[in-house]
Amino acid sequence: MPDEPVSHPPATPAAPQSHSGAPAHSGPSGHPGGPGHSAGPGGPRPQGRPGGPAKRGKRSFVRKKKVCRFCVDKSDFIDYKRAEILAPFVQERGKILPRRMTGTCARHQRWLTVAIKRAQNIALLPFAAEL
Amino acid sequence: MEERQYDLIFILRPDTPEPEIDKVIATIEHAAVEKGGKIEKTEKWGRKRMAYRVKRLHEGFYVYMVIRSSHGEVVKELERRLKVADPVIKYLTVRLDEELKRQEKLKRRRERRAARRPRKPATAAPTPGGEQSAAAV
Repeated sequence: MPDEPVSHPPATPAAPQSHSGAPAHSGPSGHPGGPGHSAGPGGPRPQGRPGGPAKRGKRSFVRKKKVCRFCVDKSDFIDYKRAEILAPFVQERGKILPRRMTGTCARHQRWLTVAIKRAQNIALLPFAAEL
Repeated sequence: MEERQYDLIFILRPDTPEPEIDKVIATIEHAAVEKGGKIEKTEKWGRKRMAYRVKRLHEGFYVYMVIRSSHGEVVKELERRLKVADPVIKYLTVRLDEELKRQEKLKRRRERRAARRPRKPATAAPTPGGEQSAAAV
């Protein structure tokens, strides 16, 4: 019973703010991947989004867009001999980090895995943590 | 057949004396040349800590070479020699010419694109607006 009155008051201020929130929402959706991403969990999002920026409370978490490090550097080749550039993409246990964690693009991730595996073979990077 | 390029890295025991290291490098270079390969580069990386133990050792003396050859016989011979050489604890040969060729191709394409259109002003304008609204959120 106490849940109902609590949920209603935020809903009323959320309605006018949704108009001001709309341009802000269209901004990020202009980026590639934006519209596709918001379309998935479309149900709960429209309520959470305008309420979030206004209240600055829960659900105001905006995910930072990850960019491929290698695309930024415009690298056409990932050198397996330089373990220090490969190290950030490997977990301490020796696992290769997935794309969703590092934000690496598909093409560079493909090259990166090959480079990491080569580095592992010549003991520049570990296959697994020791002991 | 066109020429291929190989990276050859081998690791020697860390307690190998300097003259011994030079001897191993010399024999490898000699063998490569004998089989019709060309030594592009030889680098001594020196003692490095290995990421895992190899033959109960934590450190190794790394030697790096770049070899060009038009047939794979060279690699076969070099790997055979490295396998029987006592101070060598690990080695790796990687064929790199195709990747380098791809790198060249991508580089040329990028340069050509950069020359064709300097910067698109149409995409540059809305982006600051989008960033501003994102910052306001």
